[in-house]
Amino acid sequence: MSQPAGERSYQQTAAASTMHYLCAECGAKVGINKGEPIRCKECGHRILYKQRTRRMVQFEAR
Amino acid sequence: MPSSDRRNIVGINAETVSNVTSTDFPGHWPGEDNSWNLEKFRNTFKVDFFKNDKHHAEFDLIHIDASIANAFRRIMMAEVHSFAIEQCYILNNTSVIQDEVLAHRLGFIPIVGNHETMRNMKWSRKGVDPKTNAEYPPTVNDTLILHLEVTCQRIPGAPKNETDPDKLYTGHTVYARDLQWRPANSTQQVKFGDDPVRAGNPDIVIAKLRPGQEIVVTSHAIKGLGKDHAKFSPVATAGYRLLPTIDIKEPITGKSAERFQKCFPPGVVEIVNGEAKVVAPRNDTVSREVLRHEEFKGKVQLGRVRDHFIYFVESAGQWDSDEIFLESINILQAKVNRLKKHTLRMLQQEEEQAEREAGIEDADAMEE
Amino acid sequence: MANTQPDITMADAEEEFIINGEKETGLRIRVLPGEEPGCASFQITDEDHTLGNALRYMIMKNPKVELCGYSIPHPSEAHMNIRIQIYPEFEDEFRPVDALLKGLDDLNDLCGVVREKFTEARDAHGKN
Repeated sequence: MSQPAGERSYQQTAAASTMHYLCAECGAKVGINKGEPIRCKECGHRILYKQRTRRMVQFEAR
Repeated sequence: MPSSDRRNIVGINAETVSNVTSTDFPGHWPGEDNSWNLEKFRNTFKVDFFKNDKHHAEFDLIHIDASIANAFRRIMMAEVHSFAIEQCYILNNTSVIQDEVLAHRLGFIPIVGNHETMRNMKWSRKGVDPKTNAEYPPTVNDTLILHLEVTCQRIPGAPKNETDPDKLYTGHTVYARDLQWRPANSTQQVKFGDDPVRAGNPDIVIAKLRPGQEIVVTSHAIKGLGKDHAKFSPVATAGYRLLPTIDIKEPITGKSAERFQKCFPPGVVEIVNGEAKVVAPRNDTVSREVLRHEEFKGKVQLGRVRDHFIYFVESAGQWDSDEIFLESINILQAKVNRLKKHTLRMLQQEEEQAEREAGIEDADAMEE
Repeated sequence: MANTQPDITMADAEEEFIINGEKETGLRIRVLPGEEPGCASFQITDEDHTLGNALRYMIMKNPKVELCGYSIPHPSEAHMNIRIQIYPEFEDEFRPVDALLKGLDDLNDLCGVVREKFTEARDAHGKN
């Protein structure tokens, strides 16, 4: 993950750039690579949502 | 304007109130003392208890001035401490409720546990530590860690036409009981003993989830005061009302008495031998309904006893209700003692200043 | 469980009067300009209607006091001003600050009686 960008091979970049989205229709997790159509692999729905950040978010309970 | 002849009755008329302010001061009434007298106060002041549950106390303070009764009420709401969640570390929240709203909701959950231990816990320090140039970190002595982790899942094999979420999903409602205390160390755990840190009411709904949604939050609860934020107030409600009076001036009888009875909540007025009698003015809501009817004009005078306070204290769970009142007395007394100390210190400083100036003047005189 | 001493909230404090963990910051009271024999206004920091009105009542109960009133000049400034005037015939022997100190003592005594009577009534009634 922390590899410098210049040293990555093409394949590595392709694997690392698989983005996961959530289907707006069926809720399934959809992995999409560069150039692939934006489409749910389970139900074919064309609206996908970005996943929530994995980072911790701090709030004051006020 | 009709007014009561009795001095300690506040008149309640159709559109006005009368005889509102206290007049028990020296020089107000000729030939009366009215100066402060502790023994006199001790002999007249009275407390009556009606209810003393953990979550609800009801008692009367009789023959005390509104200014002091109000001080106790204000302190109970704003200056008695309790614990509430202050920081939320949201690790995941895929529910429909936004992070900041979820954090805000978590803040309002009363956090209870071993009362003595919580009382002895320190106040968390805010601001920046000049030594490290960083914010004061939370410590075992001032912070309680609560963790919330709930995931909603579909129950396999639920019937197709089922609509009851209980049969369709698990974890579909996040309750305050799902908050788990994570003792910071074993000492903290031991201090709480068999009365662990938990939500004051387990049934508070925090959020609702649907399959695939998840909430993971770690939060820090600290000690605070109601004047800083309402979530720190130890009471759900705390207040008082004045004892109502209903004075029947002329006998009300027959059908009229029945109509008269209907002007008040049930049980306030009874009909004895065909005549209306007030039996429980305490239960009156002082709706003034009776003053709207022409037939009772001049026959009844409503009022409230100026120095009879009916307190109701509903604890949120951290304290017993009666203790909140006792604590309010402690705090008022502490405020008084603190101000006295500061006043004496001010006088001392003034005196020192005067002495110094006198010294300079003497020196000037010597020079001349 | 009756906590009868006022120092419970001041657990951290030794001699200092720390209430609810707040920091001690200099003098909480000063005399406002315009002081004369028999009359003075005091400015008290970090107090509000809670102490202001209760103290005003106790000071007004003093027969040597001609006038006592308090005000909070601005809601977003934590100041409470209290004005005390003494009847001219007492102003040589009794300063406004004496009236303030007596008011504080009387309020302290009152709290003691309220606690005593409250605890008594509560214990007689018992816990439900």
